[in-house]
Amino acid sequence: MTASIKNIRLLIVDDEDHFRHILAKRLTKRGMPPLLAANGLECLDILEKKPFDVVVLDVKMPGMDGLEVLGIINQNYPKTEVIILTGHATTASGVEGIKGGAFDYLTKPIEFDHLLKKIKQAYEKIKREEEKNREAEFRAKIEKQLVITERLASLGTLATGVAHEINNPLAIIKESAGWMRLMLKKEELKDIPRKEHFEKALKKIEDGIERAKRITHQLLGFVKKHDIAFSEVNLSELVSETLKLIHRQAEDKQVEFAINIDDRTDTIWSDPYQIRQVLINLFTNAVYATDPGGRITIATVKTDGFVTLTVKDPGKGIPKENLDRIFEPFFSTKAVGEGTGLGLYVSRGIIEKLGGKIEVESTVGKGTRFSVTLPSSLEVSEDLQDNKSICHDILDHIRNAEQQ
Amino acid sequence: MIKIPARVLIVDDEKDFVEIFALRLEEAGERVSTAHSGKECLKILSEKEIDVVILDIRMPGMDGIETLKEIKKGYPLVEVIMLTGHGTTETAVEGMKLGAFDYLIKPADFNDLAVKLEGARKRKDEQEERIRAAEVKSILRKSGGIF
Repeated sequence: MTASIKNIRLLIVDDEDHFRHILAKRLTKRGMPPLLAANGLECLDILEKKPFDVVVLDVKMPGMDGLEVLGIINQNYPKTEVIILTGHATTASGVEGIKGGAFDYLTKPIEFDHLLKKIKQAYEKIKREEEKNREAEFRAKIEKQLVITERLASLGTLATGVAHEINNPLAIIKESAGWMRLMLKKEELKDIPRKEHFEKALKKIEDGIERAKRITHQLLGFVKKHDIAFSEVNLSELVSETLKLIHRQAEDKQVEFAINIDDRTDTIWSDPYQIRQVLINLFTNAVYATDPGGRITIATVKTDGFVTLTVKDPGKGIPKENLDRIFEPFFSTKAVGEGTGLGLYVSRGIIEKLGGKIEVESTVGKGTRFSVTLPSSLEVSEDLQDNKSICHDILDHIRNAEQQ
Repeated sequence: MIKIPARVLIVDDEKDFVEIFALRLEEAGERVSTAHSGKECLKILSEKEIDVVILDIRMPGMDGIETLKEIKKGYPLVEVIMLTGHGTTETAVEGMKLGAFDYLIKPADFNDLAVKLEGARKRKDEQEERIRAAEVKSILRKSGGIF
């Protein structure tokens, strides 16, 4: 790897004017004009103003000596590499310099080509470090996503398992309550004492069953269950239709909607019922988050083969620590009984099944924006499947590399 | 209107569910038998006249789908309503392709069940009626219409 030397930000620090200027001249000729400093203090002044890649630093200087300057540079500018220049008889300070974090040292009188080579090496080291950092950052990001995805998947499996197991005892409770109600209606039990108390208790049991049932059924994806049925979907119609369904909620709260549909996004090839369920969820959430008088913006944008629908609310926003968790099943900040914590979880499942993705951006105090991206035709969604598997391959690759 | 009782067989490995469900159906005027496994279900079918089987899909051993296949093989006129407690309706759809009348999701609404039960019984009645009519026709044809 040869990093382009043209971009090296180079600083020469030496108290001998003559030496400094000759060096500058020769370096400029070779395409890397340096900045110059006559002493340690001046050097630190310059570094404070802008970053440098390589500092060539004389050890023996009046006032602050080179090793001292080196210490400060290492502490304050860890990305900067330092090459120190030592006097003929003082190799010891060169060794000390390397111990102190210098990239290397050269003994005066220096050989110019030698110095040039060292500068290049130092610069290459910087570039390598940068590359490594970038890679590490990218890897950390992907791994974090992977952890979230896996967490969601395992939570999902767990939740569905639990929901199924609960449905059976729930059915027993329901049948038993129904049976008791039937009995209470019988002629022979017409006049039993405190009958209304029994009826009241039964009503509470039945309400409780209904609530539990809503949760388990939602979790299992039974709500308005349609097997995926693709057809032409008119997005703007679907949006206004869905808004009609929730307009009462919005009016009660005096929340307005601003709609901004890209004409070209009018029809996509997808499943209208499932998309509507997602829209209801996103719109309801937005209304819930928005204070009276606020305005929610719904917009669509078409990009190469995809359509993105965004729902932006001016609400209180989602704190960072919650942002990673909002798609988890049962995660809710609403009061007990108000929200099941399943809306976004189910929505995410639907959108992914349709070959799309759902994303969120939020700023506390400013609001939240959800965006749903869907393929506008079937072929694209198939392509996407391929992409997905490619993505998995990459992730596998990274993990294998990690294990080795 | 006089209710004609349906002869119902409930098949579920959840004994508590079967017990209370049977009580409720009997109270609603049906004639109920119970079984706790696919094998037991087939045994009862071989002994008794049954109109409708209410069959849980997920059971240990012989599951609902297998049991359904056996029922349809041996007793094609018996109607089956599937009961499902889990994730997808896919299994229920598969069941209907195999000849089940309909399906219900646990915990099921009793009124829904009553409607579906009535529908199933009716379909069986009509089917039997058609068979009878066809039989009569074939007898008439054989005799040349002359008695």
